[in-house]
Amino acid sequence: MILLDKESLYYKDKIVLDNISLSINKGEKVALLGKSGSGKSTLLKRLYELNPQDSSYIPQELGLVNSLSVFHNIYIANLDKYSTFYNIRNLIKPAQQEINIIEPILEELYMGELMFQKAGELSGGQKQRTAIGRAMLQGHKVLLADEPISALDEFVTQKVLSSIASKFETIVCALHNVDVALEYYDRVIGIKDGKIVLDKQCSHITNADTQHLYHVCDDQF
Amino acid sequence: MLIPNIYTMSVMTSSKNLNVTIIFAFIFVIAFINADFSISTLDPLSEINKFFSGITQIEFSKITIYYDAIINTVRIAVVAIFVSAFLGFILAMYFHFMIVRVCLAFVRSIHELFWALLFLQIFGLNTMTALLAIILPYSATLGKVYFEILEEYDVFPKELQSSKASRLSTFIYTKLPDALPQLLSYTRYRFECALKSTAILGFIGLTTLGYYMQGSFMQGYYGDVWLLLIIFYIIIASIKYWFNKYLAPFLLMMSLYTLDDFSGFNLDNFMRFITEDIVPSPIRKNESLFEVYAWFENIAVNEIMPGIFNTIVLTQVSLIMTGLLALVFFPFISKYFVNKPSNVFGNIVLVIFRSTPEYILAYLFLQIWGPSMLPAVIALSLHNGAIIGFIMGEQSNEVKLRSDSTKRKIELYFFEIVPRIYSSFLAFLFYRWEVIMRESAILGILGIATLGFYVDSAIADIRLDKVVILLFFIALLNILVDTISRKVRAYLRINTTVKSSCDLV
Repeated sequence: MILLDKESLYYKDKIVLDNISLSINKGEKVALLGKSGSGKSTLLKRLYELNPQDSSYIPQELGLVNSLSVFHNIYIANLDKYSTFYNIRNLIKPAQQEINIIEPILEELYMGELMFQKAGELSGGQKQRTAIGRAMLQGHKVLLADEPISALDEFVTQKVLSSIASKFETIVCALHNVDVALEYYDRVIGIKDGKIVLDKQCSHITNADTQHLYHVCDDQF
Repeated sequence: MLIPNIYTMSVMTSSKNLNVTIIFAFIFVIAFINADFSISTLDPLSEINKFFSGITQIEFSKITIYYDAIINTVRIAVVAIFVSAFLGFILAMYFHFMIVRVCLAFVRSIHELFWALLFLQIFGLNTMTALLAIILPYSATLGKVYFEILEEYDVFPKELQSSKASRLSTFIYTKLPDALPQLLSYTRYRFECALKSTAILGFIGLTTLGYYMQGSFMQGYYGDVWLLLIIFYIIIASIKYWFNKYLAPFLLMMSLYTLDDFSGFNLDNFMRFITEDIVPSPIRKNESLFEVYAWFENIAVNEIMPGIFNTIVLTQVSLIMTGLLALVFFPFISKYFVNKPSNVFGNIVLVIFRSTPEYILAYLFLQIWGPSMLPAVIALSLHNGAIIGFIMGEQSNEVKLRSDSTKRKIELYFFEIVPRIYSSFLAFLFYRWEVIMRESAILGILGIATLGFYVDSAIADIRLDKVVILLFFIALLNILVDTISRKVRAYLRINTTVKSSCDLV
């Protein structure tokens, strides 16, 4: 269980989320909704810090190494599982054993042919999927992801979200698309002006709530 | 001389640029009044005439005489850059320690020729001296720049770095891959510098290209001087064809295998150097503390102070002249001011001035005008003005003008182009400041009374204790200039990336 009790979160000395309480149970799939700058990223980072050993984290900027291949970018998640010597060897020439592990992950993300493409040469959506692949390889139970699918088309979004759902027990995912959130997640949390303005199970969402969420996510307001 | 700047200023938004320009122009005027620009040769025009008519007397068949010098120059530079890059990389890992920073600043601020003069006393005139003279300042510079490059590419999120993975693993996966192209490109640029430095070492007797150049100069064989210069330009211009990832390791093996002449090295010399030679003579002779003070005071009053004064005068005059020449040079390679053929011609002239080390230029002008600050200022400002003019020309080509902007070139220059690139122009000039200062000190070897002059005389008198004191003050002066330069750049808030500063340091 992830628990925040009346905490205030700061970003560069500025208060972003004021006195918030939140509990997320094991097995829950939660979508965070809010416009850019509302504090979703700060909240996710904090949730990650609460339990870094068992969580995989995908920051909004993804954290890919542009000059490395997709394979190596994903392998980075396993650096701590092998010796330095093996890591160096695998950097120079990818070991077949590692390819066998990473290939199925890429297949699932529809990236099979791109395994040895440099990350810097990928499209926005392919970069996001690479970061998702890295999180999957880690094999942790919790995923904390910051808008990981914003650049994917509808078909791939569907496939990627369902494989994420099968790989991770608990998910907290920042999104700005209300429809995707309501369709694929169990629970939505709306954030606005430093406060949680809505926190409900998706099955209990009313039409008024949906309208409210659209409003929360709209950058024009 | 300041008219262009004042015109420019009128349309410039930043008053800070104006402040800095006025302060340095004022210092320039004071320095200019104090500088000695006398011409001591009897007939400078005929010297110039003789030099240029040398072009017609080039005997290309003589190139065979210089094979050994060419090979020696290249292999010393190759071994030196590999060792320097290796040491520089290790030093970059420890650069965050204050003590490493300070030590490297000192080692870096002493010119390779001074190091060579010093090692000459320990190891004699051989390859070891040449290698160490390059490796010491170069690994210090590479260490600093490598550190800055790696810092710039330190963008991998900390949250994604596992604390359980080894530091080396994390480094080679998350930092090195993106920084590597930049590291290699700077090392290649430094290799070009190492070739120039190695050639220059010939002027103090090591058998590289400079050795034969000086010999030909002295005997008035200007045809040979030209031939050697042409060989030098070809070597520099062709670097990318023979110093690449395929050939460089092979070159290194060959160089290591064939480098010879390590004669004269013995440990006794080294021990004598550090335990006796560099100990101040009154201490060595067990004299009173008062004697030590008198000894130091004598050096301070008669050599350090006038030396520092002249070095600063030469540096400040050359700095402003460099700036003015760069402002004059850059239109000749800018598409807004000249047509294609003139552009090509301008490029060739600038490349020649850029590639000829200021030491060789100064040596040449000295033959023409005799020893004074005149040849030194001309040499420093031509070389550095060409370097900065070149980058400014490239920048001006990237400027996009409105279609209704003026077509008159003079207006275009003062109201459109220069105001747009003036900030980066100042940045480049201040990056180059420290280099100009280092060169000003070294040109003393040629007879101009900067600090290098006193170092050279002290070496001639075999008073190494004095040499070390003088070198210490040279280093101090350089570090001071570097610090002021950094402060000025911060004041001007010039955002220059490591990339743009790399070719200037």
